[in-house]
Amino acid sequence: MASLSAFQQPSADPKTNLMNQVRQEAAVSNARQLIEKINEHCFERCVPKPGSSLSSTEEKCFSTCMEKYMSGWNAVSRQYVARLQRESGSGLTTGL
Amino acid sequence: MSISGGGNVDLTKLSENDKQELQHFVMMESQKSQIQSAIHSLTDTCFRKCVSSKISVGTLDKYEEPCMTNCVERFMDANKLVLGQLEKLRSTTG
Repeated sequence: MASLSAFQQPSADPKTNLMNQVRQEAAVSNARQLIEKINEHCFERCVPKPGSSLSSTEEKCFSTCMEKYMSGWNAVSRQYVARLQRESGSGLTTGL
Repeated sequence: MSISGGGNVDLTKLSENDKQELQHFVMMESQKSQIQSAIHSLTDTCFRKCVSSKISVGTLDKYEEPCMTNCVERFMDANKLVLGQLEKLRSTTG
């Protein structure tokens, strides 16, 4: 996580550079929030009694739970943005 | 928002146009990030309420899907209600 700028195309334009950096940081922060929540929910659901290692059942539960949480995230995202658009009437047309 | 790993961006070299464009860009990004945070927090709340049975498939079933969408709508109704009540309180107490 130390050097995100390594992934970016070096650009001579400082403005584009800065914008890319901001976009990158925002994407990382969004992903981090999602991962945190998935871990929190799925750990609670899939590992009720932590053993000495994750069992194959627990691992399977985790991947199913992860998919389910992301489906939930997508549903919420769709509904929330639709509601915002309904209420504000304008703007917010850019994709997330 | 902090820009880590930067330091290579010299803002003093930017033209007025670029500065304005950047300002607008940052505003949009910050709005986007606020919306995303709200989505995370709503997903958290609604997942807890709507997905209570055993997790066996990776998609939302026919009960969970409408529950999630209703959850979002009702949460925002509730939010509006609270704001409305507070507004009423404020106007009656002067």
